[in-house]
Amino acid sequence: MTIQRRTFEDTPGAAPWPDDYSALDLGPYRNNIGITPAWSTKAGRLNVWGNSLPAEELPGGEAIVVNDVPFQFPGTLPGEPDNVRCTGQFVPVPPGRYDWLYLLAAAERRTEDVMAFHFEDGAVDFEPLRVSDFWHAPAVFGEDEAFATSVMHYPHHVQERVSGKIFCQRVPVTRRAVLLAVRFPDNVAVHVFAASLRR
Amino acid sequence: MPITRGPLEQWYRDPVSCLQSTLATLLLKAGEDPLVELGLDWEFRHIPGDVRPEEYYWPCRHPGDVVRSLLPHRAAVSRWRTVAGEDPLAVLEDALAAGLLPVIAVDNFHLPFRPAYHDVHAAHLLVVYEVDREAGTVGVSDAQPPAFLGPIPVADLLRSWDDASPHDDQDVFFSGKGETAARRWLEVRLDEPGPELDPGQLGTVLRANVRGFTNPAERDGTHQVGLEGLRGFTDDLVERSRDGGSEALVSAYTFGWGMQAQAALHGELLRRCGAGWGMRELAEAGRHAELVAHLWSGVRVQSAHGRADPAGCARELARHAALLVAAYERALETIDRVAEGL
Repeated sequence: MTIQRRTFEDTPGAAPWPDDYSALDLGPYRNNIGITPAWSTKAGRLNVWGNSLPAEELPGGEAIVVNDVPFQFPGTLPGEPDNVRCTGQFVPVPPGRYDWLYLLAAAERRTEDVMAFHFEDGAVDFEPLRVSDFWHAPAVFGEDEAFATSVMHYPHHVQERVSGKIFCQRVPVTRRAVLLAVRFPDNVAVHVFAASLRR
Repeated sequence: MPITRGPLEQWYRDPVSCLQSTLATLLLKAGEDPLVELGLDWEFRHIPGDVRPEEYYWPCRHPGDVVRSLLPHRAAVSRWRTVAGEDPLAVLEDALAAGLLPVIAVDNFHLPFRPAYHDVHAAHLLVVYEVDREAGTVGVSDAQPPAFLGPIPVADLLRSWDDASPHDDQDVFFSGKGETAARRWLEVRLDEPGPELDPGQLGTVLRANVRGFTNPAERDGTHQVGLEGLRGFTDDLVERSRDGGSEALVSAYTFGWGMQAQAALHGELLRRCGAGWGMRELAEAGRHAELVAHLWSGVRVQSAHGRADPAGCARELARHAALLVAAYERALETIDRVAEGL
């Protein structure tokens, strides 16, 4: 499968953001550095070894589209957190009736856990979140491979021939009700870079 | 003339360590399917006090014989040997000439193709397939990413083989105190390939595996085995975390790699067999085993990151441990049911 990635600037005349998608504002919840420039790799904390993904090969602070799903990709300024390392964050969403939550995510080793969806009528649903290993691994849960870098950043060097991955995973919103918020899993193995809801 | 046992093939899955990937290369050379051989057995075994900071640590049911412990359903044996003489290459040459593929214990710090080169000390395994004195090289295979297969200078090999893997603060999980003393190698002997795995044979193995979990023959108390051992291990891990100690957390990350790898390979094998034989419940049983592997990530990663604040991570570690135990129980229930029909 060919993954199509583009920025909005690549498609002149396109709407700035598709009406049927809402981006989650993860800014207040970002707590981890998973992307570093080659000249400053030491701050990376995508796993216990201090690995990180190369900023040179990834977007930075712009809206992108991965297989028709729009995301607001985080900024990658050195020293600034770019992802949510999941510790049970409760994230309000633009109220609405949605079918899917799409995530740009990566895990420190293959990981399965659950997310909680909170609805306007007081209902709460738990849904599975499955994310593959970011460290030179395939998408074992059938995710789209959104990004596969040519190098891996280590605290003291840039390693060639070890690929870093960000996967595009989705989680179903099965309840026909207005969604108000999501809770990420309390699982520090899971890193979320961006999230969008589809109506 | 070089003494060679090449060419070699490599095999890798992201949950495995160099223990499984090096053994896979030997199995391929012997005409075996690594997934079948490495994925057949499934057990839980923790040996308190035995966990060594090596990437290839495995809790051996047969003391000192890691390959027999990993492949209990076939005739395979191994023993660690130490090269004491002044010509270490001669030992490798003799092994190759005898039809063996020596597996050597090395320190990644000295290997130019490893990401840890001149950065981090870590105890690792390589397969040696060739010694070429004239060229001054030794042919090695390392299937772990970034994967290397080819000759390296003798001097590089000896530096990595001679190093006793000193403690390295950058890698508290796989460096220091290990049995990576100078020039150790694993002599592995595999029997001839067996018949292709069929449902009857798999059923026999699965029933034995389930018995190993639910009614283990060993109850001497030195090994924590089966479901009872798993519950003991996780209870102890959480309790020691609550008490503020980091040693158990570090050990859990190292030890858990083997358990995670085995569950992943067992699950993949059952899924593959189930799909290939049209036995959908067997495939589902495999997926349950894979869930066990994926929940090991929660335990291992929480342990690794929580070692700076063990008491602070105890509650979350307890949740991961409870999920892991429940997943083992569910997988074993499913496998037990499926095995009856094989």
